[in-house]
Amino acid sequence: MSIAQNPLSVEVSLPREDVVLLTVEGHLDIDTATGLQHHLANQFQHGRRHFLLDLAAVPFMDSSGMNIIIRAYQQTRELDGSVHIISPTPPVRRILDLTGVSITVPVTDSVEDSLALVDKQQPSDSA
Amino acid sequence: MSLPEPHPDPNDATDGTGDDAVFDTDTDAGTSTATDAGTGTSPSTDVAVGADTEVDASADEQTALTANYPVGKLAATVERLRREVRAAQAEADGRALMELAKGILVERLGCGPAQAARQLAELAEQAKVTPLELAVDVINQSARDRLSDVTGAFLAGAKGQEGAAADREERERSAAVRLREAESGALAAPDTQAVADSLFHHALTPLGAVAVAIWTAGTDGSLTLAGSAGFSPAEAGRWRYVPPGVMTVARTSLTERAGQWIGSLSETGLPSIGQHHFPDGGRAALPAGTGGRVHGVLEVVWPTPLEPQSPQVIRQVEALAELCAHTLETYAFVHGGDTVTEPRVLPDAAELVDLADGLHDPALVLVPYLDDGHLVDFHIHHVNSRFLDPAGRPRGLVNGALLLEAYPMAAGESELFQRVERVYATGEPFRAQRMNLTALVDQVTVASVADISISRHGNSVLLIWRVEDETARLASLLQHAQRLGRIGGFEENLLTGEITWNGQLFSLYGRSPSSGPVPLEDLALHAHPDDAVAIGRFLRTLLHHGRPAAAAFRLQRPDEVTRHIRVVAEPVLDADGRPFVLRGAYQDISAQHWTEVALAATRDQLAHSEQQATERNRLTLQLQHAIMPPTQAPLQAPRLDVAVRYRPAETEQLVGGDWYDAVVLPSGLVLLCVGDVAGHGIEAATSMVVLRNALRGLAVTGAGPGQLLSWLNSVAHHLTGSITATAVCGIYDPRSRKLRWARAGHLPPVLVRDAEAVSLPLLKGLLLGAVPEVTYGEDEVQLAVDDTLLMYTDGLIERRDRTMEESMTQLLTTVRTAPCTLDQQLDRLLTYSRSDTDDDTCIVGIRVS
Repeated sequence: MSIAQNPLSVEVSLPREDVVLLTVEGHLDIDTATGLQHHLANQFQHGRRHFLLDLAAVPFMDSSGMNIIIRAYQQTRELDGSVHIISPTPPVRRILDLTGVSITVPVTDSVEDSLALVDKQQPSDSA
Repeated sequence: MSLPEPHPDPNDATDGTGDDAVFDTDTDAGTSTATDAGTGTSPSTDVAVGADTEVDASADEQTALTANYPVGKLAATVERLRREVRAAQAEADGRALMELAKGILVERLGCGPAQAARQLAELAEQAKVTPLELAVDVINQSARDRLSDVTGAFLAGAKGQEGAAADREERERSAAVRLREAESGALAAPDTQAVADSLFHHALTPLGAVAVAIWTAGTDGSLTLAGSAGFSPAEAGRWRYVPPGVMTVARTSLTERAGQWIGSLSETGLPSIGQHHFPDGGRAALPAGTGGRVHGVLEVVWPTPLEPQSPQVIRQVEALAELCAHTLETYAFVHGGDTVTEPRVLPDAAELVDLADGLHDPALVLVPYLDDGHLVDFHIHHVNSRFLDPAGRPRGLVNGALLLEAYPMAAGESELFQRVERVYATGEPFRAQRMNLTALVDQVTVASVADISISRHGNSVLLIWRVEDETARLASLLQHAQRLGRIGGFEENLLTGEITWNGQLFSLYGRSPSSGPVPLEDLALHAHPDDAVAIGRFLRTLLHHGRPAAAAFRLQRPDEVTRHIRVVAEPVLDADGRPFVLRGAYQDISAQHWTEVALAATRDQLAHSEQQATERNRLTLQLQHAIMPPTQAPLQAPRLDVAVRYRPAETEQLVGGDWYDAVVLPSGLVLLCVGDVAGHGIEAATSMVVLRNALRGLAVTGAGPGQLLSWLNSVAHHLTGSITATAVCGIYDPRSRKLRWARAGHLPPVLVRDAEAVSLPLLKGLLLGAVPEVTYGEDEVQLAVDDTLLMYTDGLIERRDRTMEESMTQLLTTVRTAPCTLDQQLDRLLTYSRSDTDDDTCIVGIRVS
């Protein structure tokens, strides 16, 4: 319910220069979504184009969380970047499928798979 | 220690020794008596012998007096004496008469003055008359006709004092009475000389004395020979005046304020009258005083060295000295020049009070306090406005007290009391710098250093002190206040109205120090009218309950600046628990206050925002209700029941963007839709309205649900604010009972058939608004009679602990038991919904009939 009960933790790392990996832990809902949004905005500020969201530790996500992901998706599209979702839990996976976000946002099982997808995208960028 | 030059007095030079010169040569009526001082015995002087019973003048003396005196002079004398008598009023002359009577009794009964006084009081008691009346009787007896007439007239005057006019009438009516009053005045003038003669002949000769001198003491420390006997006229003339600072035998007795019994004059080396005639003779010099006040000295001369005298003799001579005193007092009164016309009832005290109040130093007006005719203490008649008690007491506690009661320590080491006593006795002023004063505060001695000035004025003493600590005390108050910063300190004496402010307080008030401080009681006059109640409460606590109090108020300064001030004050209580001093401080809390105000404003703003939000939410809700009534009139479609439910969120601010629609299109097909705009509030609701109406309009084109959602996605994507929404859309053909449907990120419909609920497949379909171009998959489902199809938003089933499908299955299991109408079914769904979110909820249901 509250932030204190379900704090959202976001761990930020940089596997590549323009790739940021955000490892999210906790319920991603109306109360916590802005926390993730700030992290994303911050990374946009630093010029990251590719966003890997590890949601393995997110047991629940509502439409607020979904909207954060969609915003990120919309912004990266303009920068020729990308958003990747890594290892979503079944409920989150269901939401992604329900909303059709999984159609546009690639969902993988590992950071490596996502990075591979990023790499695959890069040549086309530079081309 | 030089020998005093005989001091020729120019005024008296001509009549210095002339026995009869006075009345013969002096034709100036106005000054006739003023020149009588120290003159020899004139025939008329006998009339005035008061203390002496030997009155050789007979009853016809009055007639002789009348006949001998020039009428004009007499008239002038009468006028002067009338003024005197009127001025003298009861007390002083009455006291003189009392002393006179006492003197008579002393001689008659051979007792001491104290005994005489007691005797007088007792006799008066027995005779049921006032002591004054009895005194007059005693004097009348002694003095026979003339004096009795005079004193009787005086007594009448004293009695009729209230009706001064009547008194005057009486006097004018009777020339005889006037004459007797004149005699009363005449009584004074040659009295001292007469007394000297009388004392010499009747009292001192038997003791072996050969001469007597009666000195009157001037306030400047001089001595004037008021009467003498046994000296040659030339010697008396030489010694008629002894200037200040010349130490003579008489002077010594004044300085010591005790009788001087000298065995042989030459041994002392002191000069005195008759020293050449009786160089080795014994001397006695006794201060002549009444009521603690020394008027002069009685000096007795023996021809030969004097053996120590017996106490009886000493007492007798002391009694004689006291007898002299009253005549000297009268002498001083008559010869005091300008004091002649002044009333004698504590005139000096009244004037002195005025004088004291004009002084810039603490001053006390002291009047002698007599017990049985003896000076025992001084009454603190008045303390001036500058008075500062060394013991820190308020003026009111000191004012009116006895000097020794208020300052017991004055009798101690500081010798303050002795100084005052001495000044009162001799009239010689006393000045001292840095004198140590000791005050007693609750048995604790407080030492202070003061500059002292004591002087006698008439019958009163003015005591001035400048306590050095005072400046230090004020400075410490100031320092203390300024140390705390921006604090104005004050102290108010409620009894005297005295108020002390420090400089900070004046600047805080925006007042110049010259305009004076503001009493605490007038605080409300300088404050904002709205703060009157708070100030009233503050003053009540402080003054009425005598407790410390504090108040905050808006000070309205003369320069129209308003400051927020906090005042704290505490009372200092007297023995009865009443406050008599208020101490406290004002503090400018404007800065602090504005911080609080800013906070309050923020709170107000917040409340305002909340109110606005509430209003917006209410508006949103009304909007939603206007568009989608919670229940809708049953939709009329062939062979189809349609029911809709909309349940707003319980919390108003969560009013969301859920919508439903069920409308029969012109083609006869039925459009069914449920949607959910992400987010809450008025933006979501507005977007919902846009999307709902857009879909209705688009549906008219006859396009399929996939196409409709694709178009709707474009609408959402280009909608301001880049919203996202989910929706499920179906086109039902009542003829074929087929439903074509598509979904955009929304929960797929649920088909309820034979108590079995099945969620339709999760078709591909991205939510609306995320990307510009989206294609949506379509599906078709064949419905049968009694089949129920439900479209709903996630508010109905959303739970964190289970999936949508699980939630929906459980809900349907709950509601399917009893067969019921579609409306009942929807109601039950809402009732038994176990959603754990407080979100708004829409349900659209169709049942094939």
